[in-house]
Amino acid sequence: MIHAIPMMVVLPLAGAFFIPMVSRRAAWVPDAVGNAVMVVLAVISFGLIGREGIYHVGGWPTPLGIDLRLDGLTAILLLAVNGIGLCAALFSVSYMELYTSKFRYYSLFLFMVAGMNGVIITGDLFNLYVFMEIAAIASYALVAFGCEHEELEASFKYAVLGGVASSLILIGIAVVYMITGSLNMAQIADRIQTIGLTPPILLALCLFVAGFGLKAALVPFHAWLPDAHPSAPAPVSAMLSGVLIKAIGVYVMARLFFNVFGPTSDLLAVMRLLGVLSMVIGVLLAVGQWDMKRLFAYHSISQIGYVMLGLGLGTPLGLAGGLFHLLNHSVFKSLLFLNAGSVEYSTGRRNLKQLGGMARILPLTGGTTLVASMSIGGVPPFNGFWSKLIIIFACIRAGFYGLAGWAVLVSVITLASFLKVLRYGFYEAPAEKLRVERSMAPLMAVALLLLAISCLAMSLFVVTGLESPVLVDRAVEALSAGVFGM
Amino acid sequence: MLELMLEPILMPLTIAFLGGLVCLLLPERLIRARGLVGLATSLLVLLAMWPLWTGDITTYHGPGILQLRADGLACLGALMSAVFGVLISLYSISYLKVRASGRRFFTYLLWTLAAAEGAFLADNLILLLMFWGILGLTLYLMVGLAGPEAASAAKKTFIIVGATDSLLVMGAGIVWMLTGTTRLSELQALNTSVVPLGIAFWTFVAAAFAKAGAFPLHTWLPEVGERALVPVTAYLPAALDKLLGIYLLARASIHIFALGLGERTGLMFLGAITVIAAVMMALVQHDLRRLLAYHAVSQVGYMVLGIGTGTAVGIAGGIFHMLNNAIYKSCLFLGAGAVETECGHTDLDRLGGLARVMPLTFGAFLVAALAISGVPPLNGFASKWMVYQGIIESGQERVGLWIVWLAAAMLGSALTLASFVKALNATFLRKASPEVEAAEPREPSAAMWLPMLILAVFCVALGVGVHRFSLPVFIRPASGTALKLPGVWAAGPATLMLLTALAAGGGVGLLTLRGRIRRTGTYVGGEILSQTYISGVEAESRPDLEVTGVDFYREIEHLPGLARMYDLARKGAFDLYEIGLRVVGYFVELLRSAHTGILLTYISWVVAGLLGIMIFLLR
Repeated sequence: MIHAIPMMVVLPLAGAFFIPMVSRRAAWVPDAVGNAVMVVLAVISFGLIGREGIYHVGGWPTPLGIDLRLDGLTAILLLAVNGIGLCAALFSVSYMELYTSKFRYYSLFLFMVAGMNGVIITGDLFNLYVFMEIAAIASYALVAFGCEHEELEASFKYAVLGGVASSLILIGIAVVYMITGSLNMAQIADRIQTIGLTPPILLALCLFVAGFGLKAALVPFHAWLPDAHPSAPAPVSAMLSGVLIKAIGVYVMARLFFNVFGPTSDLLAVMRLLGVLSMVIGVLLAVGQWDMKRLFAYHSISQIGYVMLGLGLGTPLGLAGGLFHLLNHSVFKSLLFLNAGSVEYSTGRRNLKQLGGMARILPLTGGTTLVASMSIGGVPPFNGFWSKLIIIFACIRAGFYGLAGWAVLVSVITLASFLKVLRYGFYEAPAEKLRVERSMAPLMAVALLLLAISCLAMSLFVVTGLESPVLVDRAVEALSAGVFGM
Repeated sequence: MLELMLEPILMPLTIAFLGGLVCLLLPERLIRARGLVGLATSLLVLLAMWPLWTGDITTYHGPGILQLRADGLACLGALMSAVFGVLISLYSISYLKVRASGRRFFTYLLWTLAAAEGAFLADNLILLLMFWGILGLTLYLMVGLAGPEAASAAKKTFIIVGATDSLLVMGAGIVWMLTGTTRLSELQALNTSVVPLGIAFWTFVAAAFAKAGAFPLHTWLPEVGERALVPVTAYLPAALDKLLGIYLLARASIHIFALGLGERTGLMFLGAITVIAAVMMALVQHDLRRLLAYHAVSQVGYMVLGIGTGTAVGIAGGIFHMLNNAIYKSCLFLGAGAVETECGHTDLDRLGGLARVMPLTFGAFLVAALAISGVPPLNGFASKWMVYQGIIESGQERVGLWIVWLAAAMLGSALTLASFVKALNATFLRKASPEVEAAEPREPSAAMWLPMLILAVFCVALGVGVHRFSLPVFIRPASGTALKLPGVWAAGPATLMLLTALAAGGGVGLLTLRGRIRRTGTYVGGEILSQTYISGVEAESRPDLEVTGVDFYREIEHLPGLARMYDLARKGAFDLYEIGLRVVGYFVELLRSAHTGILLTYISWVVAGLLGIMIFLLR
């Protein structure tokens, strides 16, 4: 099974090049190839759960070649990226009919998936940078996919700020290379053990926090997200908010800080601080929004804050809460964006002030929006309840009563803001009569149902006890095992 | 999994859950079948509660957090929930608006029942949190069944309830961290003078108050009472939520925490305010359902007062009042539902004269109204009497304040009676308005009046049989202590004397007045109004000359001092929800004004953030 790891990058890359080559002859090819690749990737990533190992690309041993690492953390992130990717791809089949040149869309989509998968599995710092840029540049293009004024402006801001982050990260990598003489993560970890965290290494850490913090949209590096995420087509928004900010932001930070540099108390404090800031400011900005997708986008900032807070505690329970929330958020947030997409698909609107009564018009979307809203609002029996509960418990156990209080407050405002969405968008009568332009397409319904069922099913992972939700316990082990050994 | 579901202590949950599923899967048009499934399922749940109630099964330990136990307090709540499930199902079968809500009503009703059984029987704090949260969700969904008009009430309800649920999570976390366990039966008498545990106790109180609807977390209740479907109001806010909220309060105050004087005084203070403030609001309402909802708040004050006394009789009284209140309040709401079904609205200004055409509804409503006002020998009197005794007894440890609480409780009782005199008069007794006559109200179907009558019979039985079975069967196992009642109240003889007196008075009246009663229209200054013409209009049809109870009570709003309070209350000055909205709104505007969309600003934030992190890490 370990030989399947490179497939996670090779397959989507191959698909991305294949689609534009043949699609001029057959219009069905982009849909078919895109979805087939995503199905295979989802199946592989499901099979990788619970496995571990290192794959040497080209058969070169560690210092010479590039390592691909598979451990518990990698496995759950691959599952998130490719599972959500599959749902988004299914949703795209009908939804992307609203746009032109579908082959470009699927090609970019697969590039983005390849980039994310690459970031997650690579054990080499510069390789990570390259994959990150593949994913990021594909996402700049996807944000601008509609080519309207707003979308181009959002994409421009996103590209500029993303570029700033990338250069910070590149400088950081250069500094690390200068000090340790290696780009292999395990080797860097090994050398840092002997050198210690000298000021240049600390400088690199600062650059990484800011750089990856921007990719993860942590406050104060968040400003690009509320423009970029809503501007993209709905399935892309689902990918961006659902997995991209985690794969190339949170995941990399967790990997580097816990497994390469080793978490110091200062570093953890920074993570917690950024986490709480994002939680509070993100949710306050969200609750005042009326554009559905923009509201969801601000909530991504806030929810990423929860993840960072959990990780920043550094305790096994905190890590479990943070990682579980990361997974849960990718499910319910992508579901929310797909719901917004299906509302937009049938009415052409996404402003809550112009919507209303959607629960009657689109009963399925009404149901799945309710499920996703309750999940993000932390209401049982849905998955978000459990991860928030674990994070709050972890804060208290680590002695941070104040942080637990913030987590509670933010959770209340989150719930309030989603009840607002439900009230104005779905339950209350619309201000003016809505014209339903298209009815729901079957594949869109399948994607929504898959994600909604996941929201409920993921709750089952905590039945055996809060300390170790089955899905993430290996990932927690991977993070708390300390830095990589050679 | 199947074995787990067939575990006897889990049977009530399983049955209710599966019944709900069946209702959801039944085709849309089988309206009556869904109702019958709902009724049958809740009867089965009641049956499945029997082995728990008789004490044959008490605990169950499954995998992980799945720990349950059935002690007296839990059983009382679980049994009564099932009883209300049966009665409300029966009532709802023929309730028109339930039919319009499609398959969802009975599904939500049964799932609510399942979650309530789970919340009562849970022996694990986390399991309790889960069921508690689900109950908030089902409350939201059930309120929302009334359609677009109820959307805002549903939202407000769930924000208040959900906020306290989150607080409860934090409280549970604190308890877990300081004791190392989440098993409820292992948590005994935690000392609230330890600051984190004190905080934890108040989070439990907040969750209980929001669910039961006590000041200052009650503000969702009047809106729900006015806008939700009547069976929903009678089921959740009036009955199950009271049982649940007071169950949690009692569990926390009696078992989990050992309260200090500070906590007890705090509880009694909030209880007294709840009684008075809510009944003052009830007095000036013009809508029967809204009026009843304010009473649903006011009555919680007695339960909080009783539990806050910390004395055996007070606690038992509080729990007894919880039971009684659920019964008569549910009955009152069902009565309001019958009125609404027949007349199309519940506006007190436009009702009247229904006693003649709906005698059964009137009878049940009258009994319940007298019970809520604490008229002996009905059940409301018995429990209030115990609460009063508890308050007096609590005064022995600290002189002074008890007299205030007692005065508040008794004044509240008097004002309750006053407001029900108004409601009874306006709805049933005074002359029917032409609008009512045009609606041609009749007695509703048996499925509707039967639950009301059963509840009214409960009101009488629990009151008259207070020593015979109410206390020994229901309350003593729940409150867990032997009761020593200092005051003298012999319900049986007193009832006999009351009945004799009523019979004698009635007999004298009948004998002396028979055949000599003169019926005439309203007259003023000797002139019968129907025979005079004022400015060409026949006077009797002039509403401005009708003096109704509703107008009479309007004067209260203009009393000096009170006028200002009413004014503030109407503007939401006492509503935590409104205050919260304003505070959050302020910060939202502040943050939004910073997000100008200018790229340079955003880049400067990035630079500032980087510098800040560098200063912190490189120092």
